[in-house]
Amino acid sequence: MSNKPVNHAKAAEHFLEDAPHLQFHDERLWDMRQKRDAQMHILPEWQELREEASRIKEHTLSRLPEYLEQFEENAKKNGIHVHWARDGAEHNRIVGEILKAHNARNLIKSKSMVTEECDMRPYLAKQGVTVTETDLGERIQQLDDQLPSHIVVPAVHKLTSDVAKIFAKDYHTDPNIRDPHLLAEAQRQAARPVILHADAGMTGGNFVVAETGTFVVCTNEGNADLSATVPNLHIATIGIERLVPRMADLGVFIRLLSRSALGSPITQYTTHFRGPQKGGEMHVVLVDNGRSARLGMEDFWTSLKCIRCGACMNTCPVYRRSGGLSYGAVYSGPIGAIIDPTFNERKYSTLPYASTLNGSCTNVCPVKINIHEQLYKWRRVLVQHHEMPFVKREIMHMAGKLMGQPKLYRAAIKATEVSLSTMPRFVLYNWLNPWGKHRENPHPVKQTFNDWYRKNREKAEPAAAPETKK
Amino acid sequence: MNTARDEILQALRNNRPTPENHPLPPVRTLGDLDASRERFIASLKILGGDVLEPVGDETLDQAIMRRHPDAKVICSNVPEAKGTLPVEKVKTPQDAAAIDVTVVRAPFGIAEMGSIFLSESQLPINSFAHLGQHIVVVLSPDSIMANMHTAYQERPEFRSANYGVLMSGPSATADIQGVLIRGAQGVRSLSVWFA
Repeated sequence: MSNKPVNHAKAAEHFLEDAPHLQFHDERLWDMRQKRDAQMHILPEWQELREEASRIKEHTLSRLPEYLEQFEENAKKNGIHVHWARDGAEHNRIVGEILKAHNARNLIKSKSMVTEECDMRPYLAKQGVTVTETDLGERIQQLDDQLPSHIVVPAVHKLTSDVAKIFAKDYHTDPNIRDPHLLAEAQRQAARPVILHADAGMTGGNFVVAETGTFVVCTNEGNADLSATVPNLHIATIGIERLVPRMADLGVFIRLLSRSALGSPITQYTTHFRGPQKGGEMHVVLVDNGRSARLGMEDFWTSLKCIRCGACMNTCPVYRRSGGLSYGAVYSGPIGAIIDPTFNERKYSTLPYASTLNGSCTNVCPVKINIHEQLYKWRRVLVQHHEMPFVKREIMHMAGKLMGQPKLYRAAIKATEVSLSTMPRFVLYNWLNPWGKHRENPHPVKQTFNDWYRKNREKAEPAAAPETKK
Repeated sequence: MNTARDEILQALRNNRPTPENHPLPPVRTLGDLDASRERFIASLKILGGDVLEPVGDETLDQAIMRRHPDAKVICSNVPEAKGTLPVEKVKTPQDAAAIDVTVVRAPFGIAEMGSIFLSESQLPINSFAHLGQHIVVVLSPDSIMANMHTAYQERPEFRSANYGVLMSGPSATADIQGVLIRGAQGVRSLSVWFA
């Protein structure tokens, strides 16, 4: 894997060039945000729910080893095989071995961001296992050989015409279909025989209940339940941070999840797995992959509270206008920008800058992660670790010098005003001024504030004194 | 050599925030506690489900035929409906794929969401709830829980079932250009018959 920093700005530039895609993407995500707001306004207890969710998650993370052991004990009692994976490679090996032991060649799976993290599909393909994504959006992305661009709606950056083109190639449907119903039906018809003949099914897990050994899967299409109930072998891949202590805690989280994500009160399916079905076998793979290390990062551990609703992505003006793929990472948007650098600080060093720091992400987060503050803190860390692009670093260096010396600063401001009004464009807009790439430089002013102040106020200082003196 | 399990747990013990600073909040019951049939129906409709109301002194079998006139294979796991395929014929998970309309009883519903609960106790085989084209759910109006808090706190099924699904309307997707489509990969429709 390349270690080169992701050029988010350049990828976003590319995304911005396509007006129809950009407009749909922006409007669709904003619509999800507005539907979320409508749900929030129905519930007077919304802020209490967020507070409860945040406290339950912080408590659980502070006692994660104990709750993981409790979950393992209860799950084993109910007949679930529990595995532990330090990283993606170990996870893939475990899944590969389970499949091999059952001579399973065809795996159907529902959406799981952790398997994306582990890059599981190429690994299993090499073992001769055919992996079929059954979630519609995820399947579209699999056929198009792209990462999901959004954690809830993986193909949200595509239009119907794009999907029609992809399905025409693989499902032999008419490439000119413009009715999404026909394409969804094509997916149903194509998936059914694969589901009926699959050797194994795989799901993720949204929540894990320590006290009962249960894991919960929240979906809309019914594909996760089909993947888990039709084949006799069910493997669930789950991040170790997904724990909650008690069954009753699910009340808080289920009430928040889909309302925050899509603005629907609940997902169509909320499924509780506590043990294998009759004649079946069930495996849970608990994946660390950097999470235990993240728990030790004082400024960033609360990002582990995330329940993957995507609300921060839907509300983010940068995400909506750059698209998930521009982040070049498994996780995109504001939440991606604060967790991706924990996977690879250099490669994802550009992502914390993909934000205006407006704080909207923090406001909509159902578990109250201070996302915009963590974005800011990441910038500091990255500067300290010298993971900052050359031009940005030099500019900051010069700005620091200037602002530290008032006389020099004032001279520079004057010089800038002169150059802004006299220099030709090619001098003002070039690679040394990335700020001016998609923006016009500010209009030069005739008089700086300092000049104005000296002229009008400095001599007349007493007049500026408080009124009460009169 | 340390196992993955030991290493992960040890890393978590070393890295975790101070547990004393993060006490477990007590379980709370928030929100509207209305457990009425009316609230349940309103929520069910928001999620795309519907109520199957008897016309005159119609039986459940007659109502199903009226709602699904093209259905050839109706398989009932409840005494209230006979159906056309004896449920004993559904032996493997794949057998359920031939069913047009599945009929089951839910032990409870949730008014806040219009959800119905199903587990292996109500299903001859778990895929029975998903592979058929449509599902009709028999629900007693007396077994409606108010909201998610009361459901998780009070219903024993969450602690006893190996497989327990809350279905809130039929399967759905909006993955293609944001167009909401009811009837994605699971059931195409979900109707509730009160009895």
